[in-house]
Amino acid sequence: MTGLLRLLKLFTPYRRWMLGGIALGSVVILANVALLALSGWFIASMALAGLGLQTIAYFAPAALIRGLAILRTGARYGERLVTHEATLRCLAELRVWFYERLEPLGPAAMDTWRGGDLLSRIRADIDSLDNLYLRIVAPVTNALLCGIVIVAGLALFDTRIALLDLAALVLAGAVLPLLALKLGDAAGRGLTETRAALDGAATDTVRGLGELAVLGAVTRQRERVAGLAERLIRYQRRQMWVGAIGRALSGLTANLALWGTLILVIPCVAAGDVPGPQLAMLALGVLASFEAVAALPTAFAAFGETAAAARRLVEIADAKPAVTAPDPAAARTPARFDITFDDVSMRYRDDADWALAGFSLTLEAGEAVGLVGESGAGKSTILALIQRFREFQAGEIAIGGVSVRDIDDATLRQTISVVAQRTHLFNASIRGNLLLAKPDASDDELNEALRLAGLEEEIAHFPEGLETLVGEVGTRLSGGQARRVAIARAFLRDARILLLDEPTEGLDADSEARVLEALGNLMQGKTTLLVSHRPRALEFVGRVVRVG
Amino acid sequence: MAVSQRPSHGGEAKRHERWLKDRAGAVKSTLMLATGSGLVGGLALIAQCWLVARVLDAAIIDGAGLSEVWQWLWPLLGVFALRALASIASDALAFEAAARLKRTLRDQVMNRLAALGPRWMEGQRSGEIANVLGGAVEGIEQYVAAYLPQKLLSTMIPLAILVAVLPLDWVSGLILLVTAPILPLFMVIVGRGAEALNQRQWRRLSLMGAHFFDAIEGLTTLKQFGASRREAEAVGRMADEYRSATMRVLRVAFLSSLVLEFFATLGVAMVAVYVGFRLYYGQLDFLPGLFALLLAPEFYRPLRDMGANYHARMQAIGAVGELMPILSEVSGEPDSDQREGSGELKKALSLPSDPIQTIHFDGVGFRHDVDNAESDGVEAVDLTLARGECVALVGPSGAGKTTLAKLLLGFFDPSVGRLELDGVDLREIDVEAWRARLGYLPQRPTLFAGTIAENLTLGAPNATPDEIAAVLSRADAHGFVEALENGLDTWVGDGGSGLSGGQIQRLALARTLLSQPEVLVLDEPTAALDGDTARRVMAGVQSASINAATLLVTHDIDVARTADRIVFLDRGHVVEQGTPAALEATGGAFARFVELAARGIA
Repeated sequence: MTGLLRLLKLFTPYRRWMLGGIALGSVVILANVALLALSGWFIASMALAGLGLQTIAYFAPAALIRGLAILRTGARYGERLVTHEATLRCLAELRVWFYERLEPLGPAAMDTWRGGDLLSRIRADIDSLDNLYLRIVAPVTNALLCGIVIVAGLALFDTRIALLDLAALVLAGAVLPLLALKLGDAAGRGLTETRAALDGAATDTVRGLGELAVLGAVTRQRERVAGLAERLIRYQRRQMWVGAIGRALSGLTANLALWGTLILVIPCVAAGDVPGPQLAMLALGVLASFEAVAALPTAFAAFGETAAAARRLVEIADAKPAVTAPDPAAARTPARFDITFDDVSMRYRDDADWALAGFSLTLEAGEAVGLVGESGAGKSTILALIQRFREFQAGEIAIGGVSVRDIDDATLRQTISVVAQRTHLFNASIRGNLLLAKPDASDDELNEALRLAGLEEEIAHFPEGLETLVGEVGTRLSGGQARRVAIARAFLRDARILLLDEPTEGLDADSEARVLEALGNLMQGKTTLLVSHRPRALEFVGRVVRVG
Repeated sequence: MAVSQRPSHGGEAKRHERWLKDRAGAVKSTLMLATGSGLVGGLALIAQCWLVARVLDAAIIDGAGLSEVWQWLWPLLGVFALRALASIASDALAFEAAARLKRTLRDQVMNRLAALGPRWMEGQRSGEIANVLGGAVEGIEQYVAAYLPQKLLSTMIPLAILVAVLPLDWVSGLILLVTAPILPLFMVIVGRGAEALNQRQWRRLSLMGAHFFDAIEGLTTLKQFGASRREAEAVGRMADEYRSATMRVLRVAFLSSLVLEFFATLGVAMVAVYVGFRLYYGQLDFLPGLFALLLAPEFYRPLRDMGANYHARMQAIGAVGELMPILSEVSGEPDSDQREGSGELKKALSLPSDPIQTIHFDGVGFRHDVDNAESDGVEAVDLTLARGECVALVGPSGAGKTTLAKLLLGFFDPSVGRLELDGVDLREIDVEAWRARLGYLPQRPTLFAGTIAENLTLGAPNATPDEIAAVLSRADAHGFVEALENGLDTWVGDGGSGLSGGQIQRLALARTLLSQPEVLVLDEPTAALDGDTARRVMAGVQSASINAATLLVTHDIDVARTADRIVFLDRGHVVEQGTPAALEATGGAFARFVELAARGIA
C-alpha cells in the first residue's frame, strides 16, 4: 500500500489529466442514470397529461433527454481519450523514474535479482502499474463519486429509496465482489501453483524429450501433464463458480433494489402522497444506478497484484548502489594501461564465502592474459571488479598505478571496452547499435569497424544494410554475427583495455574462427584479459592464469 | 494497454479463427446449451420488463395499491431467480465447453510432440514450445467461453426484444429496427476500430513501448559504453513519443465506441421522446410505451458486451498462431506419426540380434539445418563399436561429437552413408525397439518434477529397491541421496532444484544404468563433477557396462583414458583413433589436446 501511494505521488504532475478523466467518466454514468430516470418521469407525465389527469410543459424535458444522450456520447469519447492520455503520461513518468533509480544500481542490481528472472518480473510489474489509473484509480473514484451523487439525488425525493439504493450499491459493488475475491483466493493460489507446475512439466517434457523417448517414458510424462492440466481445470472451475455466483448475486441485488423501490413507493402513490411519474423515475433511476459500480469487481481483483507490483518496484528503486563514485575533486586519470590486482578479496554479502580470495595478477601494458577456472572460481568477479560494477573488500586494483576507486566513471568507461558472450544488442538498427560506442562516428568509421570485425560483407548483403533492425523485433543475427557486432563496437570505442568475457562460447567452429580472427585484430596493442575455456581462443594470449 | 495485442493480418486472422471454430465444433452441444441458457436469461429479462411495466402502469395510471399489484410482484421474484440461475448455468456450461476443448488441444499437442520426436525439437526454442501447452492453450478459453456464446446472443437477444416490442408499439420497434441493420455494421466498425492499428503501426508502437525494457535488459552494455545516463533521457523521450503516437491511433480507434455509444444512447432517448409524445396525444397506451422504454437499453447491451469480448477474439487468434504450426507440423521421424496416430505399427524390422554385437558407422555424414547453425555436422565418419567395448569421442567443442551420439540414438538419420546394427540399416529398424535397448545420458540431463525414486524408475518401472541401490552406488549417488532428509522420496522439480549440477548428473546416470541398456550413450557424463567423483563414477559405469557397447563423449582427458579406444574428432572428421596409450605416444591431435589440458586450458 505504501508502495502504491509513493507511485501515485509520482503521478501528481498529471493530476489534471487524471481528474479530468474521472470527471468525464462520472458524467458518462450520471448522464445515463439521469437519462433513464428522466425518461421514466417524462413518459409517465406525458401519459397522465394525455389522459387529462395533469398538465406538462413537455418541451424542456424532451430537449433535456436528447441533451443527456448527446452529453453521454460526447463524454464517453472524451473520457476514453483523457483517461488514456493520463495513463500514458503516468507511464512515461513511471518509466523514467524507475530507470533513473535502476541505472546507478548498475549490473550488480541486475545480478542480485536475476534469480527470480528480474526482467520478466519488472516487465509484468510495470505493465500492471501502467494500468493502475485506468483499472483501479478511475473506476473506484467514479464509483464513489457517482454513488454519492446518485444517493443524494434519490434522497431529494425519498430518503428510504436513497438508503435502499446505497445498501444495494455497497452490496453489489463492494461486499459481494470482495467476498468472491476472498472465496476465490485459495483456488487462485492453487491455480497459480498448478499453472507453474504445468509450465514446468511442459518445459521438462520439451527439454527432456530425448531422454523420455529413450527411457520409453513419453506416455508416462504425457499422463503427468494431462493430470496437471486436469488439476488446473478443477481450480479454474472453482473460481468460475465463485465468479459466476458472485455476478448473478450482484445482478439479483440490483433487481431486488428495484423490487424494494416498487414496494416502498407504490403505497405512497396510491395514497396520493407521491405523484405517479416520480415512481417511474425512482424505479428506472435505481435500476440504472448500478452502472456506477459495474467496474469495481475488476478493480478489486487487480488491486492485490498491482499493490504487490508497486512494492517490488519501490524495493528495487530504494536499493543501495554496490559501489560509490569517487569524489570528483579526487578523481584521477591513468596515464598508463598496465593493470595490477594486488591480493584482492571480494564477497557478495558479509555473511557469504569469499567469491575471490587474495587474487593477485599483473598485466603489462599491451599484454594479453587468459583466465581459466571452474565456474564459480571468480573469473566473472574479476571482470566485474575492474569495471567497478562491484566493490571489493580487501587488496587493491589499479590501472596505470591509479586505484580503480579513484577513477571517475566516464574515464573508466573510456578506458575499458568489453566483448562478452552476453553482449546486448538493442532493438535498433545496426547503425544505432554501433553508434552506442561512438555517437559521432561517420559512415566511413562505421564501415571500417565492420570491416575489421569481418562483418562488412554480410551486412552489405542485408536488404537494408546498416539500417537493418536487429534484436528482438528485427532480424535475428546468428550468434557469431551478434558477437562480431559487439567487436565492431569495441573497434569504434578504441579503448586501451580490452575485456573478453567468453567471446566465442556457444559458437560453432566456423563462427568461432571468424570471431577469433576479428578479435586478433582488436587485441593489437591493448591490455587484454580473456576469460574462456576454448583452446583456440586461448591460443591468442601469451599467458594463461588459473583462477581459484 | 490498449495496444498490447498484436493485430494479425486479416486473412491470417480469418484462417486462425476458422481453425479454432472447427475445433470448437467438438464441443458444439455444450456451447449451444450455454447459449440456450443465455437466451433463457434474455427471455426472462423481457418478462421482467413486462411485469415491471404492468406494475408501474397499474400504480401510476390506475392508482392501484400494493394489494392489487402483488399478482405481478411475486412472479417478478421468480423471474429474478430465473435470470440469476440462467446466468450461472450459462457461465458454467461455457466453462465446461472451453475446458473440454482445452483438454483436447493439450492432448493433441502432446501427441504431436511425442510423434515429432527429439529430432524436430532440436531446431526449436524449447521455451516457446513449452508455452504452447500452457499459455497458448489457455489463450483460447475466453474466446470459447465468452466470445462464441456472446456472439450468438448478441443477435438473438435484440431479435427477441424486437419481436416483443414491435406488435405492442411499432414506432419504438421501428426506432430499434432502424438501428438494427446497423448492428452488423457496428460489429464491423468495432472490428475495424481494433484493427485501425495496422501491422506497421503496431510494430512501431511496440518498438517504442518496448524501448524501456530493452534499455533495462541492456543496462550492463549501456554502462560499459558510458551511455547509461544519457539513456534516461531517451527513455523519457521514447515514452513521450509512444504516448503521442498511441493517442493518434486511439483517437481513431475510439471513434468506433463513439458511434456505438451514440446509437445506443440516442436510440433510448428517441424511444423515450417518441413514446412520450404519442402518449400525450393519446395514440399509445402507457403499458406498451413503458415496456418499450424499459427494453430499449437492453436492446443495445449485448452489442456493448460484444465490443468488450473483442479482446478475447484477438487473444485467441494470437494463441492459434502458436498452436497451429505444431499441430500441422510434419512429423520428423517418418513412421512415428502412424505409430502415434492410428496405433498401426509400421512394418519395421525388429532388431537383428539379441544382444547387438556390432554397431558400424559407414561413411556417415550429417548436416544440421541452416537455421540451427550452432550445432555441428559430421562428414564421412567410419567407426565401429562392438559389444563390451567403450569408445570415447574426444575433440574440441563443435567437432561433431554430440551429433554422432544423436545419430546413434536415432534422433537424426544420416544424410550420407549408413549406420548399421549387425549389418542392418538403422533406418529400417523399429525405433521403439531400438530405443528399448539404449541408455542415454545427455550433456544437461533433465530431472522431471517428482521424487528421486520416480525419476530413477522412469525407464524401469519394475526395478527392485536392491537394483536401485546398486545403480545409485555405481553412479556415486547413494551418499548424498541417503543424506537427504527424505532420501529417495525427496521431491525434485524445476530441473532438479535444490540439487547441484553434479548431483543431477549422477542421478540421471543412475537412471540410465537402471534399465541395463545394451548400448550406452554418455554425453559428457562427468562435466559437472570434480576429479575424484568423476573417477568413482567412471569406475561404476565400467562395471555396469561390461556387456554393453558404450559411446562416451568427453572433454576430460582422464575420463577418455578409461576408454578402450579413443576417436579424435575435429570439425566433423575423424582425425585419428586408437588406444589412449597409442595415441598419446604418436604425438598427434590427441596428444596435443592432452598437452593443452596440462596447461590447464582445454
